[in-house]
Amino acid sequence: MKSVIRFLSSVKLAIVLLIILASTSIVGTLIPQQRMPSEYLAHYGQLGHLLMRLQLTRLYHSFWFVALLSFFALNISVCTLERLSAKFRKTFSPKPETEPKALLALKIKDHFKKNLGLSQAGVEVTDELRRRGYRIRAKQKETTHFLLARKRISSWYGADFVHLGLLVILIGGIISGLMSFRESLSFTGQQTLAVSKASFQVRLDRFETEFYQNGAVRDWISTLTIMENGRPVLSRAVEVNHPLSYRGFVFYQSGYGWDWEKPTLELVAKKKDDTAFSQAIQLKVGEKAKLPNTAVEIVARRFVPDFMIDDKNEVVTRSLEANNPAALIEGWEAGQQLFSGWIFAKFPDFGRMHSSKETNLSFELKDFKAGQYSVIEVARDPGVNVIWLGCALLMAGLFLAFYWPAREIKVILEEAQGKTEVMAGGIAAKSREAFEKEFQELMAALRRSK
Amino acid sequence: MNESTIFLLTFIIYVLSALFYFSFQFSKKDKFAKTGYALAVAGLILHTAALIIRTIESKHAPFTNMYESLSFLAWSSILAYVIIEKVYKIKRAGAYFLLIVIALMALASSPVMPKGATPLVPALQSYWLWLHVSVTLLGEAFFAVALVTSIMYLVADSTERKGKAIKSGLSSEKLDSISYRCVAIGFPLFTLGGLVFGMVWAYKAWGTYWSWDPKEVWSLITWFVFALYLHTRIVMGWKGRRSAFIVVVGFLAAIFTYFGVNYLLAGLHSYA
Repeated sequence: MKSVIRFLSSVKLAIVLLIILASTSIVGTLIPQQRMPSEYLAHYGQLGHLLMRLQLTRLYHSFWFVALLSFFALNISVCTLERLSAKFRKTFSPKPETEPKALLALKIKDHFKKNLGLSQAGVEVTDELRRRGYRIRAKQKETTHFLLARKRISSWYGADFVHLGLLVILIGGIISGLMSFRESLSFTGQQTLAVSKASFQVRLDRFETEFYQNGAVRDWISTLTIMENGRPVLSRAVEVNHPLSYRGFVFYQSGYGWDWEKPTLELVAKKKDDTAFSQAIQLKVGEKAKLPNTAVEIVARRFVPDFMIDDKNEVVTRSLEANNPAALIEGWEAGQQLFSGWIFAKFPDFGRMHSSKETNLSFELKDFKAGQYSVIEVARDPGVNVIWLGCALLMAGLFLAFYWPAREIKVILEEAQGKTEVMAGGIAAKSREAFEKEFQELMAALRRSK
Repeated sequence: MNESTIFLLTFIIYVLSALFYFSFQFSKKDKFAKTGYALAVAGLILHTAALIIRTIESKHAPFTNMYESLSFLAWSSILAYVIIEKVYKIKRAGAYFLLIVIALMALASSPVMPKGATPLVPALQSYWLWLHVSVTLLGEAFFAVALVTSIMYLVADSTERKGKAIKSGLSSEKLDSISYRCVAIGFPLFTLGGLVFGMVWAYKAWGTYWSWDPKEVWSLITWFVFALYLHTRIVMGWKGRRSAFIVVVGFLAAIFTYFGVNYLLAGLHSYA
């Protein structure tokens, strides 16, 4: 048992684990993480199977990485606890140095004689140390006083706070891993959607995209209303970097786009032999509309925002932006298809109708209106507050350890023939130069006074 | 005067500062080092002006693309160096450190870096941009000073091993301890800016405080390396060469986090 504890409390183990964690983490940045199995097989061939079996494709969530982290946490805990009792002893029951030799063996030290009696000299040294913020513990013998002056000793616990912070962060991570919940809500128009795992619903009131003068997107803003039992309780504009929090659920603006499935098209029909004829019609994709003053019915069969013909000679959309909007329309009369063809908003002269019978109709795609949709990411993560607590502990610990250096000065006052010999030594684990300066100033001040 | 003129002027002053530091290196005349320091401070002031003008003109933090963030890194490096030289009297490091700053400035002004101030994409519109980037880069600037003193240590150490005395009054022992000081200052800053502020911002913007994005992982790796440095040194008493090597490795990890991840690995941090 003892040897197990010694193993777990060793800093060497911590260092080995740090090296292993760092190097395995590198592997995870070189192999793309959490893709589809087919991608790995296409990219790595047979090696892909091995990578997946070793969980290198989901490395940071793999069994062995989590085990490694847990082992590291155990190491940190044992290591920290092991050292804590000695620190407590040093803090709460310190012993002033009683051996002048040990004191004068310190690196930072000084001694001089003072023309004062022991008690007077003692008061003077104590006052000077107090003025500089030291707390003093004293022990007295007949002809000797022993003083232990210390300040900022909370610095000794800096590393412990850092370690505690790391453990709390790991616990927060575990809570997040097990209990966090995320989902995407895609709102088309003014829709009310239920949030699974929540008793309330969310309504999108308004979605807008703001642009800079040069056309770049400035912001996406969704105005959301929380609905409890069908009644609105809270309305807020959600933008990127400005989420909405409600009852532990946080709503983020995560995506946007146009709903190209069923846009409303505005067409203008013309006749080749009758330039005066110009008839506008509106219809949704998938719907029929009668062309006024004719017997022809128009069907809008398809719409693509960015027209392109792919390798298989099929019409697809290159992107979801309206770069080259095109519609496939058909003309019908008495149950018979008269013509069909693609028309292009940006190239009105390009539309050619293929038809069984000659038609003198031509069409222009004047306008199209698609609903915009807004994607809102909902997250509930009970680990988050634990993480912030861990971060606060971590930073407090780092501050104590590196920016709040502990100081210790040991003094022995010895009376001989009405004079007092003052011997002092200082200990500072960190920023020794600054401490040396302070120590010298202190000694100079003590020498000066009468 | 516009920002790019001031930037160029700053660049020239840094070059002059480096020249004076190098003259000091060869002549050992203190006044050269003093002039070098004064020029470095002048460059810092002018550089500050350039950054302020950039901020006013672009209406956003001066580190949203590679040009801006390199310039800001050069600025924080000079700031860190001016402080460290004042406190620890390491004027010999000036020549080498200024070379790093000049390299950063040269990289920033190279034609492949787009210099135009573009309006901020929605994801970057947050005051966390200021906190996250400035504190991280300031931490890395102290790592850069530690790198220079560590390399100087390695050189001084090998000279001492050959039995020669160090003429400059900057013993290898002192260099070793200054490296440690710089890491001790930089590590909490890097932790706060890079990891903690980064997590808070990620949570605000993406809804997860940690997503194992390559940039996140690499800053964690950098953090591991410097944690290793501190533990081997404080607990196990490592000093000198081994410590200096760890600083070099840690700095390389920091540089890879800063540059390499953007160009070599894909991820969420696709801004700068």
